[in-house]
Amino acid sequence: MTYVAANQDPFKAIADPNRRRMLDLMFEESRTVGSLAEALGISQPAASQHMQVLRLAGLVDERVEGRRTFYSVRAVELRTVADWIAKYEAFWTEKLDTLETHLARMKN
Amino acid sequence: MKDIVISRTLAFPRAMVWAALTSSDHLAAWLMPNDFRPIPNHAFTFKTDPAPGFDGTVHCTVLEIIEPERLKFSWRGGGIDTVVTFELREKGKETQLTLSHAGFAGLSNLIPRVALGFGWKDLLSKKLPAYLSAHFPK
Repeated sequence: MTYVAANQDPFKAIADPNRRRMLDLMFEESRTVGSLAEALGISQPAASQHMQVLRLAGLVDERVEGRRTFYSVRAVELRTVADWIAKYEAFWTEKLDTLETHLARMKN
Repeated sequence: MKDIVISRTLAFPRAMVWAALTSSDHLAAWLMPNDFRPIPNHAFTFKTDPAPGFDGTVHCTVLEIIEPERLKFSWRGGGIDTVVTFELREKGKETQLTLSHAGFAGLSNLIPRVALGFGWKDLLSKKLPAYLSAHFPK
């Protein structure tokens, strides 16, 4: 599979209302492209194309059962939020240490 | 989803801590270079080294400034749109400083602002917080 940089941008991936709706549906339960196409009232090739964009953005996981492939929202992407918070927590802890040092210097 | 809250007691008088938090020079010394001014609605930036996904500039606006108790400013940059609040409480000769950095929920790459309003409300308000607290307990 060829990964195109632009396609990996999750922001671009969900800029499309159909893809957002697909993610909504997949968040409820894992889905095949066919069932998503039906739910959205779009053609299967169109749904496949949307799914490809979501896959390249790393937003979905796939699971093969017999001849069918089920897609679900890749929850690990949500880790980003937790990572950010951990980073900022470390940032502020360090900065508050520096503040204490700075206050001691102000006093002298 | 919990915000960042860090509280510590500083062995310095409140007026001094307030000064360290509300002067551009002091902020530059302990936090980051900036063009802060202690004026409500003043827009300013903090500058730091760029990192992947972050150009190194934090865009801020003074939201609330109540001497010598509370300083609140917005904090936008590197994909986050958040709010930082400092609260100062006098404890004898010491000062209890509480920092909170809030607004992280719903800011992942998966759920930026453009996603709001298309049935994602439920996801943001219930599912994501539930997922995060189950998988990343504080």
